[in-house]
Amino acid sequence: MPSSPIVKISNLDKYFGRLHVLKNVSLEVPERQVVCLIGRSGSGKSTLLRCINFLEEPSRGSIEVDGVHVDAEGKGKQQRQLIHDVRLKTGMVFQEFNLFPHMSVLDNVIEGPVTVKGMDRRQAIELAEQNLDSVGMFFKKDEYPMRLSGGQKQRVAIARALTMEPRVMLFDEPTSALDPELIGEVLNVMKKVALEGMTMIVVTHEMGFAREVADRVVVMADGELIEDATPENLFKDPKDARTKALIDRYRSGEG
Amino acid sequence: MASITNEGQSPTSQAELLYQAQLRKERVFRTHVGISWGVLFLILIFLFSGQDIKIGDFTIVQTINIDTEFMLKNITFIAGGLGQTLLISVLSILFAIMMALLAALGRLSKFPPIYALSTFYVSLIRGTPLYLQIFFFFLALPQLGIVLSGIVSGVLALGLNYGAYMSETFRAGLSSVGKGQREAAMALGMTPGQTMRRIVLPQALRFAIPPMGNDFISMTKDSALVSATGFVHELMWRATKVGRSQFNSLEALIMAAVFYWTLTLILTYFQGKLEARLSKGDR
Repeated sequence: MPSSPIVKISNLDKYFGRLHVLKNVSLEVPERQVVCLIGRSGSGKSTLLRCINFLEEPSRGSIEVDGVHVDAEGKGKQQRQLIHDVRLKTGMVFQEFNLFPHMSVLDNVIEGPVTVKGMDRRQAIELAEQNLDSVGMFFKKDEYPMRLSGGQKQRVAIARALTMEPRVMLFDEPTSALDPELIGEVLNVMKKVALEGMTMIVVTHEMGFAREVADRVVVMADGELIEDATPENLFKDPKDARTKALIDRYRSGEG
Repeated sequence: MASITNEGQSPTSQAELLYQAQLRKERVFRTHVGISWGVLFLILIFLFSGQDIKIGDFTIVQTINIDTEFMLKNITFIAGGLGQTLLISVLSILFAIMMALLAALGRLSKFPPIYALSTFYVSLIRGTPLYLQIFFFFLALPQLGIVLSGIVSGVLALGLNYGAYMSETFRAGLSSVGKGQREAAMALGMTPGQTMRRIVLPQALRFAIPPMGNDFISMTKDSALVSATGFVHELMWRATKVGRSQFNSLEALIMAAVFYWTLTLILTYFQGKLEARLSKGDR
């Protein structure tokens, strides 16, 4: 019996003014799946990801995360509550890390559980320390973010998102702001999170990661999903010319 | 291998030497500035020392003679105003911070009436003299049946006035907090209120504290304007009172000036310390 999807994006449209950036996009992600969203910049992949937790408000269509259904055209207090519920079910990791600079690493990680969920501080610290340990950042728990390298910041950001115990993790180009030598440590942590069974949607340019870790790669161009395949099939036999161009460019960069 | 270590070492030590040379230069400069300050200070004291410098019977320089007996007799009376000066300054700055924060938030509002209210307030206050504002509260309001004491008028006027100017500092502080910070907070599920209190305000305040220190220092001096109401016995009021009544305004004002200046130097010292600590923190 196929399990019902944990994320269901239905007929999503997004306009920025008159610019149509998402064109009737639908996507279903079953639990524990790792999906990589790839495409050239401006293809709408980040916008799609950000619509899932309503950091961008979609213009039409609906989002469903773990049974919480939010219609793009909903309004008022009820809508705000639904968006809040969706945000509690999703953890997000940003390209620019966005750690809170005025808080220590540990305080960054417990901020969400304590302030948003009202979790007991001691319990939050315990959970935060476990997660910091699992991303290899426990030893920096009392440091401030400005003292960390980019890769370390991103690992803390992942721990911060995980400590909210989300059902789905959203990654918005998590390695694009990193020096090349720091990308590996972040990808390794993401791989670990994937192996622990987390559902993940990852916007990335890291084809190596997509090929190795993703269960499925979705290609976007001009605000549409143009291809949706397993990484093996996609890299071996891209159907769309635009996908082929994307993969060729990656291959030439690799060689 | 050997060449690598050499390369690794020599630029570091060279940079180190340059850095030390730079430090030494700065230290020498500061020492010389300090000595010059001392000389200027001595000249100032000499100017008021009441000496006649003569060659034979011919006076070439006559410095100002001040009545030290008057000064000694009245110093405690004038110093008694320090407390009031500080009290007015502290109360006014607290009120100003509140007003500045409200005005800055209003300025960032997307709701036109709130935005308008904030800019209207700032424009009105910045467009009129502080002296007028103090008198407005003290002299004009009683005509409408609202009688405020000198100190309340002073604190209201100073607070409103400084609040208007400080709102610009606060606004800059609030906009210095990047969009990504708000997004990260929202993604965690924080409400707009929580995002403001926990994430944006602490960062904005840290940015705004050094300029707020400067404002507080100016406030201690602008508080002298409150003496014009005649009912607040702070430094300036006391200095003008004893100075006028005994025709010793020169001495009285010199004493008040020394008190204000000393106060400013002390506050500037702490301000510098605070600034150094904040900049070490997270920038």
